Formats: sequence, structure tokens, C-alpha cells
Amino acid sequence: MLKFIFKKLLLMIPMLILISIIVFFGLQFTGIDPINFMVSPEVLSANAENIEALRESLGLNDPLLIQYFRWLGNCLKGDLGYSFTGAPIVDTIAVRLPYTLELAGYSLVLSTIIGIGIGIISAIRQNGVIDYLGRVFAVLGQAVPQFLVGIILIEIFSIKLGWFPAANRVSPGAANPFLDSVLHLFLPVLTLTIGMVAVLMRYARNTMLDVLNSDYIKTARSKGIPEWKVYLKHGFRNAMKPVLVIIMFRIPMLIGGSVVIESVFSYPGIGLTMTNAITSGDYPVVLATTLIIAATMLICSFLVDVLNALLDPRVRLGE
Amino acid sequence: MDTKEIILDVKKLNTSFISDRKEVKIVKDVSFQLKRGTALAVVGESGCGKSVTMNSIMRFTGANARVTAENIQYNALKDGKIIEHHLEKIKKPNGPEMRALRGPDLSMVFQDPMSSLNPVYKVGDQVAESLIQHFGMKKKEAREKVLEMFRKLGIPDPEARIDCYPHQFSGGMKQRVVIAIAMICNPELIICDEPTTALDVTIQAQIMELLKGLQINEGKSIVLITHNMGLVAEMADEVCVMYMGRVVEFGSLEDIFDHTSHPYTQALLRSVPVLGLADGQKLETIPGTTPNPADLKGGCDFADRCPFATDACRKGSIPAYEISPGHRVRCIKYNNFPEVD
Amino acid sequence: MSETKSIKEMNKSSSSSLFRRNVRKFMNNKLALFGLIVVLVITIACIVGAVMGIDYSTPNLPQMKKPPSAEHLFGTDTIGRDLLARVLYGGCYSILVGVFCAVLSSVIGAVLGALAGYFGGRVDKFIVRLSEIFQAFPQLVLVMMLVAILNKRGLGNLLFIFVITGWMTTFRMVRNEFMSLKSETYVKVCEAFGMSKSNIMFKQVLPNVMSPIIVSTTTNVAFFILQEAALSFIGLGVTDATPTWGNILNAAKSLSVVTDQWWIWVFPGLAISLFVLAINFLGDGLRDVLDPKQQ
Repeated sequence: MLKFIFKKLLLMIPMLILISIIVFFGLQFTGIDPINFMVSPEVLSANAENIEALRESLGLNDPLLIQYFRWLGNCLKGDLGYSFTGAPIVDTIAVRLPYTLELAGYSLVLSTIIGIGIGIISAIRQNGVIDYLGRVFAVLGQAVPQFLVGIILIEIFSIKLGWFPAANRVSPGAANPFLDSVLHLFLPVLTLTIGMVAVLMRYARNTMLDVLNSDYIKTARSKGIPEWKVYLKHGFRNAMKPVLVIIMFRIPMLIGGSVVIESVFSYPGIGLTMTNAITSGDYPVVLATTLIIAATMLICSFLVDVLNALLDPRVRLGE
Repeated sequence: MDTKEIILDVKKLNTSFISDRKEVKIVKDVSFQLKRGTALAVVGESGCGKSVTMNSIMRFTGANARVTAENIQYNALKDGKIIEHHLEKIKKPNGPEMRALRGPDLSMVFQDPMSSLNPVYKVGDQVAESLIQHFGMKKKEAREKVLEMFRKLGIPDPEARIDCYPHQFSGGMKQRVVIAIAMICNPELIICDEPTTALDVTIQAQIMELLKGLQINEGKSIVLITHNMGLVAEMADEVCVMYMGRVVEFGSLEDIFDHTSHPYTQALLRSVPVLGLADGQKLETIPGTTPNPADLKGGCDFADRCPFATDACRKGSIPAYEISPGHRVRCIKYNNFPEVD
Repeated sequence: MSETKSIKEMNKSSSSSLFRRNVRKFMNNKLALFGLIVVLVITIACIVGAVMGIDYSTPNLPQMKKPPSAEHLFGTDTIGRDLLARVLYGGCYSILVGVFCAVLSSVIGAVLGALAGYFGGRVDKFIVRLSEIFQAFPQLVLVMMLVAILNKRGLGNLLFIFVITGWMTTFRMVRNEFMSLKSETYVKVCEAFGMSKSNIMFKQVLPNVMSPIIVSTTTNVAFFILQEAALSFIGLGVTDATPTWGNILNAAKSLSVVTDQWWIWVFPGLAISLFVLAINFLGDGLRDVLDPKQQ
């Protein structure tokens, strides 16, 4: 198992390097003078007359490859450079990345539980009421654009009913910070969850149906064990694996979805940071956020791999 | 015959499947009896309904199946006393009554050992599961029982193999584990659904010997579903030949092999390769193909492929005739013998 | 010679009866038929609207934010443009984006999948790695990064970006199919006959994979339409001068529009949801007919 984790971790390194190359050369491609975000604006204005010397001392006249490695080194040290507004990018990300992780994480957990739960009930009670309602929900959930779901939820729950705030992550000076967090998170998490559940439910249902048709379910029944044990111990455990894989494939969509949802709810996560940076042409921020999101994605898929291995002895024993 | 001698008595079993809102009859009026401590072979081409018949008795048919029968009687022998179970009266296929019987009374070995074991659990735990379920054993106690069973079934190094996962076993070893699952609660009746089709020929012989041993030494009753006539000759005491969902011939091993009566059984036996086939003797095939069960006409289903077919064969329903005690044939060639149902 | 001809004719007649059976099967699937009709009706309405040259772009400030009426069936938007005209015109662009990107990315995915699956080895490894890199990014983020790099919000750029970021699902599917198909006997026979590799790949093997490709292309149309809508909604899609369904919905970013001018977001929202729903039904129906084993 340790060997497996180690191998997966090693595989992540070349991926990260490749992504950083794309990001770095993408940055070159935009033709923005990198000096703008390598040096804080104060230093830049203080040395306005000898920029060329500064450029030389910073190594901007060196070959691109050397510059790349220097930049990579800085990134590893935690220095992502400066935004056009002058703030160190790391500081912005340190505040906003956790917000996005909260949003995506809660949605992931909620939608996994709800989606798999309903999916499995639909498979066991095929063509029952829950199966039917679930299918209608899945069809609608996949057809209505996610941001529109967000808008509708805002219209109902914040404007008409006034139960939840329509924007932001925190209200300044809230009496109960925990309650404040829950209220702010509720609608965006719900929006993301709806979209994810629609996909997962259908997949979990079909996978569970496949599993329930397999021979070892018959073997389990031939032992005379109760039906709930047949479903949960023998069926569910095997259906989990393909469902987990699908969840892994959906994590990019979840993070992509959270970019849009953050825009709908003016939720100050990393997605909104990126959107605003693109609109205002703040390239250093765009590239830093892209890098961070890609790294987050890699870590997520690594975690799912590990979880998958825990569930399947064939992977765990490395055969 | 009294209920002490008969372990399983099936009368007029019918199974149909509903697909596309149409009902297709797969098993039609199947009746047979299994004597305690003997082996019955159910033979026929693929798709003749032999598996469905046995799955209907065990209630392993899916939600779209409809099973009806005049009588499916299982007579359990416990401490010298007979307890009658009427399986056709049990409503829920996976309800408590059926579940109580599966394991300690009736068990089943499936065709494909590769997919019959749950890939995510250790084989030992899978075997122990029914012990824990039916006898309320503790894990440790059950483990001892499983080790004992593994030794009996010839699984080498049972102490180590008991903690392995199915994918670490070969096909033959997996089938032994499946048999262990079927045997662990000491059932009286074991239904083996083509237990060796998926295995190598050498392993086939080992598994068959194992099953025969269980029957001879422990007095188990065995139903063997197969299309391999060689296995039938080795294993069976009685043979039930099925064609298109009907029993066309039923009798003792000698009845079937030496006094082969139904044209279908004759054709079936002629199409089996045997050692010492005379020079120039050709292996025969049965002309034509099996009809689609969805569009059958009346009369004998074999008529279109039968060399003896007459117009009378294609009308009405063909009854079975008893041509010698216990030897029944569903063919009007024998209408001078008494009719039985 | 005459015999081969008759076999060919036999094949032809049997394939046409298969086609007729499939059509009948499709017609019996009510949801799929509903999907097909809705897709056709919306597409034709949009094209007719565009061909008639209805005015979708002239601001008419005195008429702004008017609710639906006989004159403006869907009402008017924040600067007084007729919403019905905009939804119809926007539909043309949205559908164009969906269909164009789905078809082109399927072609790229199929070709790369065929190459990777058939040749295996290094070629396979390289293309798989490439697709993994693309997949390491959330597609939307990748699209956003490319939007930033290209630094222009044109329709052409958008199509280009969608196509190069959208081929991976088809690629994976075609590759897997090819890997299992290439060990089939008929492929070996073709190789033994000395057929060229490209002939085997695209003329012999690919037709066997066409059904799932068609199905996934259909559902991808819906995917790209939603993707374009999301991108336009956050303001990174095509410019406002070219209306698309997502672009029109961009107005709903303002809360006052959401509450006070419901028609501005409800009608384009309905149009997009209905169209995507219909496409999904159509895709499911096609899957049942063409590819019954893949549910």
C-alpha cells in the first residue's frame, strides 16, 4: 500500500512540472513584461530610471529556460510574484483558496452521499417512486445550466424569502461567525450539489444494477443472508469503485462549476479571483490561480486513487 | 414412494419471463423427482431451460420472471424425522422462509467460479459468512470450520489461503471455494449448475471426483446441470433430458444410455464424440437449429428436426409415456404405453 | 463475379432492413422522438428568425425593460432590444457552437483514439499523457486560461478553444474500443491480406466504433452549449455584439434584473434548458437504438 502511494506521488511530479511549463510559457505568449509582477510596484517606481539594470540583475535577459527554472524555484519557495494591483499573489490565494475548497469540498461530500444513496435505492427498487422521481430530477439537473439554478435559488431563497444572503462569504461583524458561515455557504453549496447529484445518481444507479446482476450476488443470496446484507455488504462495496472513478472524473467539473457559481454568488473564492483577473487583464494572477487549481486537482485525484485502492484488494496488493 | 426416499419432488413447474410486455415461456410443465442420496443429471442444449428450472426452484430468477408450480416439495431429514417444505407456497423469493433453507438445506454451485466470488472479500470470510448467519458462530469458531472444509476439499496450505482474495486463486481453486461455500452448512441438496464448464479438462475431473465423493461418502443429493454427456455417464444415477423447456425423457442412467428412446436423446447421444469411434463413422449433428422460444407452435417442439416426425406430432400437446418403471418419454411413438403426467 | 454482386446486394438489403428496424425502434421511444422534434423545431425557428433578418441589435431606450406584450412577445432587455429576436438569433450561435465543437472534437478524438489504440506502445503513451495533461485542468479553467492568453473574445477563438479542450472523452472511448477490437480475428485477417494500416484503422475498425461516437457527439452538443453559456455568463465568452443564449443570460448577473425583469432571464433560460433536455433525450434514444449494450 505504501509502495502504491509512493508510486502515485512520484507520478504527480512530472505532471506538475509539465503544467508549470505550460503556465510559464503561456505567460510568455501573452507578451506582458514580466518585470511588472516580479518586482513589487514600490520597488519598480523607486527604480524607474534604471529598469534595464534591474532587468539584468533579475536575470530577465537570460535565456527563457533559465528564467523558467528560477521562476519554478520561486514558486516552490512560495513566491508567486505580484498582482498588477501590487499585492503579493500568495497572500490573496492564502485567503481565497480555502473558501473555494470549502465550497467544492462540502458539495463533493454532500452530493456523494445524496447521489449514491438515491442511486442505490433506485437500483434496489427499480421502477419504484424514488427511481422515477430520481430520473426526472437527473434529467432536469443535467439540462438546466448550473448558474441558472443558482439564479433561481437566489430569487427564491434570498430575495423572496430572505433566508440566506445572496452574496459574499462573510458578513462583517456577524454575531455568530459559525452561523454566518453556514448561511453564506448554503446556497452556493446547494447549487453545486444539485448539478453533481444529477450526474452521480444516474451513474450510481446503473452501476449498482450491473453489480446486482453479477454472479457473486447470487452466491451471496445462496448463503441465505438477509437482503440488506446482500445489497450493502456485497453490492454496495463493489458498486463504490466505479462510482469513485466517476467522482474523480467529475472533480474538474466541480471546480469548473465552482468558478461559475462563485461568480453567481459573488463568492470570493479562487474562481472569482481568476474570473476578475481575466476580465481586468491581470495575467500574473491568472497564471498563478491556474497553477494552483491544477495542483489542487492533482491532489484530489491522488486522494481518490488512494481511496480506490483501499476499497479494492486487487489494486491494494499491487497486482 | 414415500417422502423419506424422495428429497425433491417437482410437479408441473412453469417459468416465464416478461420482456417487452410479452410473456415468453421458458420452462413448461417440468416434473421430476430426486431420490435422497443420488445424483440427477439434467442435460440438454444451451437455452433448453435446465438452468432456469433449477434457479426457479431456488428462487434465483430475476424480478421479471413468473414461477408457478403445482408442487415443489423439499423433504428435509432432520434427526430421523421428515419435515416437508412446500417451496411453491413461499411468496417472497428472498424472504425469511427461503433464506432459512438456503445454506443449511439447499445450496447451489454456479457455473463460472471467476465471477461467483466477491472480489473484495477474503475467501475465508466469504465461506464463513453462512456459518455466522445460520449457526450464530463466532468468527474464530467459523474459521476453524472453514479450515476443516478447505482441507476436505483439497485446497493446499489452507492456513495461508484462507486469507487470500479470489483474484489470487486459480479457476479450479476458486471453484473449490465456491463448493466450500455451498457445503459449509452441511446441506442435503446441492444443485451444481455446469460447475466445470469454465474449467480446464484436468481440473474438471478433479472437481467431479470431489462432488461424487460428497455424494457417496456423505450421502448428499446432487443435481448436476450439464451438457456434457461424458460427465453424465460418470456422475449420474438418473438423467433428465430437456428440450425447449420440457422434460422429453427421464430415467435411470441405463434407461437413457442403453434404452435411449426419445429421438432427441438419440440424436444428442449420437453427436457426442466417444473414444473408439469406428473408422469412417461420422460424428453426427442434429439437423436444424433450436427454435426461438418466443414463437413456438403447438405440438412437439422437436418435430421440425426429427426424422420420425408425422403430422400427429405437430398438433396438440404431447404427453409423456412410461415405457418401463421410472422411464418416461415425451413422444407419441410410444403411445402404446400408459400416459403419465 | 455475379455471385459477389449478389452477396453485396444481400448485405445491402439486410442493412437497409436493419436501418428500418432501428428507425422503428427510435420512433417507438417517445422521449427520443420528443427530443428530435424539439431540437428540430428550435433549430428551424432560430434559422428562420435569422434568415428573416429580424432586428436584434438596435437599442431602443424608451422601450427598455418592457414585459412581454403583443409587440414584444418575450419583452425587451435592459437597453430595449427585442428579446424574442435575441433568443432566436442567439440560438443560431449557441447551436452553431454546440454542433461545430461537438463534431470537430469528436473527429479529433476519434483520430487520436484510433492512432493510440491501434498502434499502442509509445504513440499510445504519448497521446494518453497529452490527454491527461488536458484533463488535469478543469475544462472551464483551461478555457479561461486560453481566453486570457489569446486576449480576444471572438467567436472563432471560442470555437478553437472548445475544440482543443473537448476531445478527451471521445478519445478515451475510441482508444479503449480500438484496443479490444485490434485483437479480433478480422483485424488479423486484414493484416494478413496486407492492407495498409490507415485502411484497417479507418475503413475496417472505425465503422465498428461509429455508434458510440455518434451518441457521444450528440450529448457533447449539449455539453458545449452549456459550457458556452457558463463562459458567456461570467463574461468571458463572445462579445455582447454577438448574442448567444449564455450572453443574453449575462444580464441576470444583476440582482435587480433577476427580481424585477424576470422575462430577461426566464426566456433564454427556458430556451437553453429545453434544447439541452431535448438533445439529451435524443442522445439517450440514439444510444438505445445504436448501442444497446452501453447503457
